Amino acid sequence: MIAQTTSLRLRLVGTLGAFFLVSMVALYFAALAYARLAADKSYDRLLSGSALSIAETISITDGQVAVDIPFASLDMLSAAPDDRVFYRVVGPDQRTITGYSDLPKLPATRRGSVDVGNAGQFFDAPYRGEQVRFVSLGRLIAQPGMKGFVFVQVGQTRRARDGLARELVFGSLAPILLLGIFAVAIIWIGIDRALRPLGRLGAELAERQPQDLNPVETAVPLEVVPVVQAINGFMRRLRENVAALRTFIADAAHQIRTPLAAIQAQAQLAEGGDVEEVRASLAAVSRNAAKLTRLVNQMLSDATIQHRSEVRVFKEFDLVATIRQSLREAVPLTDDSDVRFTTSLRTAPLIGDRLMMGEVVKNLIQNALTHGRGDHSEVLIELTEANGEYRLAVMDRGPGIPPSDRDQAFERFARGNSGQPGAGLGLAIVRQAVESHNGDVNLEGRPGGGLVVVITLPGKGA
Amino acid sequence: MLRRACLGLLLAVSLLGCEPTTSEESLSGATGQLVIYSTTDEAAFEPVVADFSKAYPGVRIAYVELQAFELDRRFRDEMASAKPSADLLLSSAMDLQIKLANDGYAKPHISASAKSLPSWARWRDEAFGFSFEPLVMVINRKELAGRPIPRSRQQLVATIRSEPDFWQNRIGTYDPSQSSVGYFVMSQDARHSSDFASMAEAFRDVGIVTAQTSSAILDQVESGRLIVGYNILGSYARTREARDPNIEIVYPGEYTLAVTRTAIIPANAAHSKAAHLFLEYLLSIRGQRILTSRSSLSSVRPEIENQYSHLGIAESTVGPLKPISLSPGLLVYLDAAKRKKLMETWSGSQN
Repeated sequence: MIAQTTSLRLRLVGTLGAFFLVSMVALYFAALAYARLAADKSYDRLLSGSALSIAETISITDGQVAVDIPFASLDMLSAAPDDRVFYRVVGPDQRTITGYSDLPKLPATRRGSVDVGNAGQFFDAPYRGEQVRFVSLGRLIAQPGMKGFVFVQVGQTRRARDGLARELVFGSLAPILLLGIFAVAIIWIGIDRALRPLGRLGAELAERQPQDLNPVETAVPLEVVPVVQAINGFMRRLRENVAALRTFIADAAHQIRTPLAAIQAQAQLAEGGDVEEVRASLAAVSRNAAKLTRLVNQMLSDATIQHRSEVRVFKEFDLVATIRQSLREAVPLTDDSDVRFTTSLRTAPLIGDRLMMGEVVKNLIQNALTHGRGDHSEVLIELTEANGEYRLAVMDRGPGIPPSDRDQAFERFARGNSGQPGAGLGLAIVRQAVESHNGDVNLEGRPGGGLVVVITLPGKGA
Repeated sequence: MLRRACLGLLLAVSLLGCEPTTSEESLSGATGQLVIYSTTDEAAFEPVVADFSKAYPGVRIAYVELQAFELDRRFRDEMASAKPSADLLLSSAMDLQIKLANDGYAKPHISASAKSLPSWARWRDEAFGFSFEPLVMVINRKELAGRPIPRSRQQLVATIRSEPDFWQNRIGTYDPSQSSVGYFVMSQDARHSSDFASMAEAFRDVGIVTAQTSSAILDQVESGRLIVGYNILGSYARTREARDPNIEIVYPGEYTLAVTRTAIIPANAAHSKAAHLFLEYLLSIRGQRILTSRSSLSSVRPEIENQYSHLGIAESTVGPLKPISLSPGLLVYLDAAKRKKLMETWSGSQN
């Protein structure tokens, strides 16, 4: 089952769509504000023209302000065909000369700033159930006995203005909206085109023979190169792993065949031989069987370590106790080997896998016993603690490993040039176990001859 | 945006619903009263009411015939004192109707029929012209006694000037001081005619006879007391022309104004559903057809051929027809100061 996240198409379209939606909302408000301004500007000219044409007819007759509303003054407002119109002319004594006497007044805050002869002052106010745009225009009258301003106020409902504003908003936003929808559609369709190289890559991988681990050769766009590089890198490691496994199997078979062949030869030799010869053959059979057993044990141990280092069930345990137990298990009671364990620590708490560390110690002891066996077999195990790290050293008096071969010694079935018998699995197992505990393993020479395997492990507190 | 589209769709659907064919099915069961204030002669309007009643038998119509000025004042008084009033106002005083709508007394009526009216015959979805009536000169040929028939205002003024004694008290028109329609048609003359003042002077000099209604003038033309009736509504004139061979209708050559009877539904009409129904019927093809064929009024909708459909073509004899637009410009002549001035020009008191 492949874990799936949101499709690229949805991600792209979603991101773009969201961005587009937010911009449309912002644009809408910006366009609305602008369109209102523009609509007011154009219709205010008409309103102002209407008021001016009325103001022009103001005259003084017999000490009375007279005004003759021209037909054009209201007719010109028909440019907004469906809007109601209101007008009023107020004399210097604040009395209505003609028109609607109850029109809303110019807001108090703007009164007093009368500019004579200008286009008038505009304001919006509700009147008779509708929002109305008004212009108020002052004309100075100076006659004997009469002085002051005559105000002409003309108003018009906002239907045409709002209609124009709506039209402007729609006119400006519609192309952007279309463009946006178009862009989203293009991405919706274009994503297939863009992802086609991935499809080709998938097809190439799917058609491969299982053993074909060569690098991918399909040409891919720049953005996909890291994926292909990762695939190729992975395949290279896989190839190496498979090669290593083959080698391991070949080596293991070889290792098993040699003692088996020896057993067979000894058995044939024993047939028809005398008692002495049969006894010698049996001793050889027994020796080779022990060798085989050890090999098989090591392979099992290797498998166990591999498994447990993958599973990683780590708990606290005492390294000192583990070493003691491994000693008991690894050194047969009947054996006269000289294996000693020295430590100044009473306990050595460690977070890790007790079983794995036990295998490590057992392997090291067996290695030391195998290689160090001789007249002068002496194995020394030493555990110390410094700077929050444990240092476990296993020393033997064997031939040791020359420094140039030490790195290779950790490979599986690596047999040094020493020609010593040995499975070569032990150190590989040790290294894997130690590394899964974040520790280190090194090989050193022992003063006076022999090999020292040094393991450092981070303590519980580290 | 989407909401607007939805609203538009709703509107379209409701418009369809207003088509007479569908409403006849769904609303023929409509019952209730409908109070109509109208300036149209009840007799002239009767066929329309009768046909409507056939379509919607449940609606009882109370038809109140009033003079235009009286209609306007009564309605405004009733509004001011919150008394029950009309559900539909039909008046040939277009200016007064526009003022009612402008003052906020009208209720919008939105329908496909309303939309198919000519643009000059509707305003704001609130005022609707439902008839088409040229303002004509009605002439008693017999009384002219062989003189050439005046075909234009100019010819009329010229013949008056040439024989002032003959024309003394022989010309009649609406009384602009008493009749709102009279004032309205006079103000439109003043607006359209460059030498209105001299025409008014000529009329004054021969003692123009004024009356409050078209019928009163027409009666006098028919009887021979008057020779010319000036600015008479074509609908009334045509019924006289049809029954009296001496009567001739002249469409003034310079320009022939046409008025339209204007309907508005009051904003707080008590029986607004019936009012919408009646108005929709009145503006529908069926209503307009009845108006043209059985009532003496003429259809305003261009789809229906009427007596005036071909008038505009022969301009050499008839002169251009100028329908007066329903627009706020009409408010100008209702201005008190303007009215005073215009009446002074008419009666010559200030010249």
